[in-house]
Amino acid sequence: MATIAANPPHAYADDAHSGIWSWLATVDHKRIGTLYLFTALFFFLVGGLEAEIIRAQLQGPNGKLVSAEVYNQLFTMHGTTMIFLAIMPLSAAFFNFLIPLQIGARDVAFPRLNAFSYWVYLLGGIFINVSWLIHAAPDGGWFGYAPLTTRPFSPGMNIDFWVLGLQILGVSSLAAGFNFITTVINMRAPGMNLMRMPMFTWAAFVTQFLIVLAFPVITIALVFLMFDRFFGTNFYTIAAGADPLLWQHLFWIFGHPEVYILILPAFGLVSEVVPTHSKKPIFGYPVMVFSLILIAFLGFGVWAHHMFAVGMGPVADTVFGVTTMLIAIPTGVKIFNWLATMHGGSLRFTTAMMFAIGLVAFFTIGGLSGVMHASPPADLQQTDTYFIVAHFHYVLFGGSMMGIFAGIYHYFPKMTGRLLGEGLGKVHFWLTAIGMNLTFFPMHFSGLLGMPRRIYRYDAGQGWDGFNLAASLGAYLLGIATLVFVFNILKSRKSGQVAGNDPWGAPTLEWMIPSPPPEYNFARIPVVTSRYPLWDMKQPHLTAEVPHTARGDREMKVDIAGKDAGTPHPKMAGTAARPAESEPHIETETFTARQLGIPMPDPTIKPLITALGMCIMLSAPLFMHHAQIMEVAGNAASAKSAMTMFWVIALGGATLMVASLYNWLLTPLESHHPHATE
Amino acid sequence: MTATIRPRRRLHAALTAALALALAGCSADKYPNTIFEPTTEFNREVLSIFHSLFFWSALVFVLVEVALIWVMWRYRRREGAPEPRHVHGNTTLEIAWTLIPAVILIVIAVPTVRAIFRTQAKAVPGALQVQVIGHQWWWEFRYPQYGITTANELYLPIGRTVNFELKTADVIHSFWIPRLGGKRDLVSNHTNYLWFTPDSVSENAFNGSCNEYCGASHANMRFRAFTVTPAEFEQWTIHQKSPAVFGATAAPVTAAAAPATTPAGAPVTPASYIGFSADKLPPYTVPTMPIPDGITFTPGLTGDAARGQQIYSRSSCIGCHAIAGNPMSQGVIGPNLTHVGSRLTIAAGLYPNDERHLALWIKNARVMKPGVIMPTLGKGEFDPVLGTTLKSGLSDQEIADIVAYLHALK
Repeated sequence: MATIAANPPHAYADDAHSGIWSWLATVDHKRIGTLYLFTALFFFLVGGLEAEIIRAQLQGPNGKLVSAEVYNQLFTMHGTTMIFLAIMPLSAAFFNFLIPLQIGARDVAFPRLNAFSYWVYLLGGIFINVSWLIHAAPDGGWFGYAPLTTRPFSPGMNIDFWVLGLQILGVSSLAAGFNFITTVINMRAPGMNLMRMPMFTWAAFVTQFLIVLAFPVITIALVFLMFDRFFGTNFYTIAAGADPLLWQHLFWIFGHPEVYILILPAFGLVSEVVPTHSKKPIFGYPVMVFSLILIAFLGFGVWAHHMFAVGMGPVADTVFGVTTMLIAIPTGVKIFNWLATMHGGSLRFTTAMMFAIGLVAFFTIGGLSGVMHASPPADLQQTDTYFIVAHFHYVLFGGSMMGIFAGIYHYFPKMTGRLLGEGLGKVHFWLTAIGMNLTFFPMHFSGLLGMPRRIYRYDAGQGWDGFNLAASLGAYLLGIATLVFVFNILKSRKSGQVAGNDPWGAPTLEWMIPSPPPEYNFARIPVVTSRYPLWDMKQPHLTAEVPHTARGDREMKVDIAGKDAGTPHPKMAGTAARPAESEPHIETETFTARQLGIPMPDPTIKPLITALGMCIMLSAPLFMHHAQIMEVAGNAASAKSAMTMFWVIALGGATLMVASLYNWLLTPLESHHPHATE
Repeated sequence: MTATIRPRRRLHAALTAALALALAGCSADKYPNTIFEPTTEFNREVLSIFHSLFFWSALVFVLVEVALIWVMWRYRRREGAPEPRHVHGNTTLEIAWTLIPAVILIVIAVPTVRAIFRTQAKAVPGALQVQVIGHQWWWEFRYPQYGITTANELYLPIGRTVNFELKTADVIHSFWIPRLGGKRDLVSNHTNYLWFTPDSVSENAFNGSCNEYCGASHANMRFRAFTVTPAEFEQWTIHQKSPAVFGATAAPVTAAAAPATTPAGAPVTPASYIGFSADKLPPYTVPTMPIPDGITFTPGLTGDAARGQQIYSRSSCIGCHAIAGNPMSQGVIGPNLTHVGSRLTIAAGLYPNDERHLALWIKNARVMKPGVIMPTLGKGEFDPVLGTTLKSGLSDQEIADIVAYLHALK
């Protein structure tokens, strides 16, 4: 498969593209994707370590490894880290790397904004985790329920780190969301109408709408909480008569779409991996697309199923119970369509394919247990027990992580030019599959047998000991699996098999170009005439029957370099002239953009500086908190100096941010247009 | 449970049998907090819905996984096999697997909606009213019909509907007794209700817990529920209503201070039943929590209840605790201690109510239970919240006296 060994595995040969500076200043979506991938994998290890400590503590009754306070910080940070710092950015790594490649673009719509998103994410992740160093990690749960998170009940800095950190991370997600929406809408190659977009890009596109609609809601919730904590407002102050359900509604209006933000990209990846490794197109492409949209749409109407125990009344319980059940329908359709895709195919059990099948097998369990607590009366016996922990780990580990692992094995060769070791990959898969089920399946039982969540210890003799021991052993196995994975990545980056353009025989545009892709992606932007352009080229006899839609091509008068580029489908070959430079083609040689005369955005450090200024500014309230504590303690001198620090840091950070932002806005994207074009 | 589902009775019966087998081990003997042995009409309703959910989920699960494994086997890559045909979809199939799940969901949704409205209806008139007030991290139980306030131990008469009025004094908690009935949150500035009838249950003790994360000691916010006969319950209410026996009349202390184990032996107690007998406690309701490191109590001290009463009445205890019959003790922040001697556990179900644990608790509650509001009281003890060592405070002898006093409050 790897036929093009001559292709150097390192794309960035010239000096301008190596060294630490090139990474700090990069605006290349592929490099930003790589940064996202490795940063997120690092945080995945951090969140995993937190999980290992949690499981060690719960291995037996009356665990004594960590204190109540530390345990509460651990489970809060495990959830926060895995959701905001690991799975979302792992998906973002694929959004960055893949969307422009899959739609035949040179970069995202706003390359510098893209860099800004990454730096904000990195700094936000560091910001939240710095709290560990001063023994004040967030301890209010990832869901941060008021009034527990208000000042009277959480006087420490713990929640401040969380409130501010999540706002920082929200900026990153929102900026990226708008960026990708614009990219998908505006930057598609000629001929790529929406119904020819690869499934991953569709999933990513839908996910961005979830992000831009859901994140403002949690931002509002967080701003309210921040104002309560720092400025004495009373949004959640129960002593002033506040209704704490305000927080719960706001949080879950964000929080439930967030679940789909976490799972839809994995669905997208699996929808790439399964067809490729089955050598068959996705079954029911339109239905797969519509089910994505439907899941996303319904996802905004089910939030209160997290609140069946709060006493909303029978009407609200009914409505949210029924809407929640409805989501099972489009989700089931996806599962069945993946099965139908594999049916009649020629299945290659590569590691990527095994992880993708893992998603189908294990996510199904999480989906079905989800239906079990969609029924409010049944949920009353399940909510806030380990049954729920089992459920959402089957969704997020059995679903999201399995899909992301499948994506990593599938796209690692495209990112690095080298295959990720298949032998170690299989070991990784089996250890993960066994470890995951051993960890999370017993939790179904301990939950239904009465074990509450978020408890740092439990009494002996409750019938939970065996299930917890099994779960802990499974967690250790998952730890070993993850080490195998990390080792595999480190090893394969240096010495993996050279991949060539298209190691898997995949159908979409990103596999037409060298691995790793050159900075400009496509030397010539391809004109797209079907969903599977590469299969059209390599095996036209198979795709000829495909009902490729030609609708819109003529009306669109797809046009490149001034020529009519309405290239027909192969089965209509000969009926129209094909302009040579826009025809789908395989590019094997790597040049620099300058050689080809392609204008590319200049590297710039301004997004990083702007992000840094913003994070400095947003860390200032920590000093205000300190001042308020000192004032209460009667230490006026310390309070005054802390307030001074607050102003210095807040204004300093704001100045840095605004100055850098102006500088950024006044600098053109491309300083020199190579003269080659027109 | 099969009665309502006729056409697929055999499959249903088979799967239910499988479920029953799988959960046969889930009996209350081995799993004392199981939801599979319902004891109330509420639990029965929930369990029958769960069975239906489980049946359909298991069916879909088996179908999907069998199909997956079959497809994986049948269509694995083989040498010389023809190239797969490119099939792009099948409208009939896709409509089928959209509609069939929809029908299944309707089958699930109908009993669900019925159960929602039935369980959330108003409780029957004449139900036993119990106010549950959540505190960080303990439970206050009030019986307004009887004028009783107690803590962490709930007495329920068998066969009578109990209507819980759920409130919280601080953050959100959640009230759950897995064996008796589904949980409800205690939401700040809200009042929630939950009712059920412990009808298919004998005299027994059950574990309850807080299920909504509520801060440092969320894991340590437990309680016990005792189902007792109506006659015993009446006696218990009479006893609870009476003021504390010991020193209630401010009379000189007599030998009654010695902990009396048999209720019959306490002549001042008019009630014939003062509480669940420690001997009858099922093992799973006896706390196993080890004593934290770094806290000790001088062994062999004998407390004097009369002295204990005096020390108690002039120390900071009275700021937070109430004891009916002790006019000095009127606090409402902490648990009502009127009949604390008859309780079986302390610290919200965390430790057994014996002399050693109670003494250590009084000495340094903040070490015994993380985050607890009750201050460190023992002399020379380290207060983990203030980060200081107490220079003045109660000596071990004084604590032993207070323990003797509290244990005399049967």
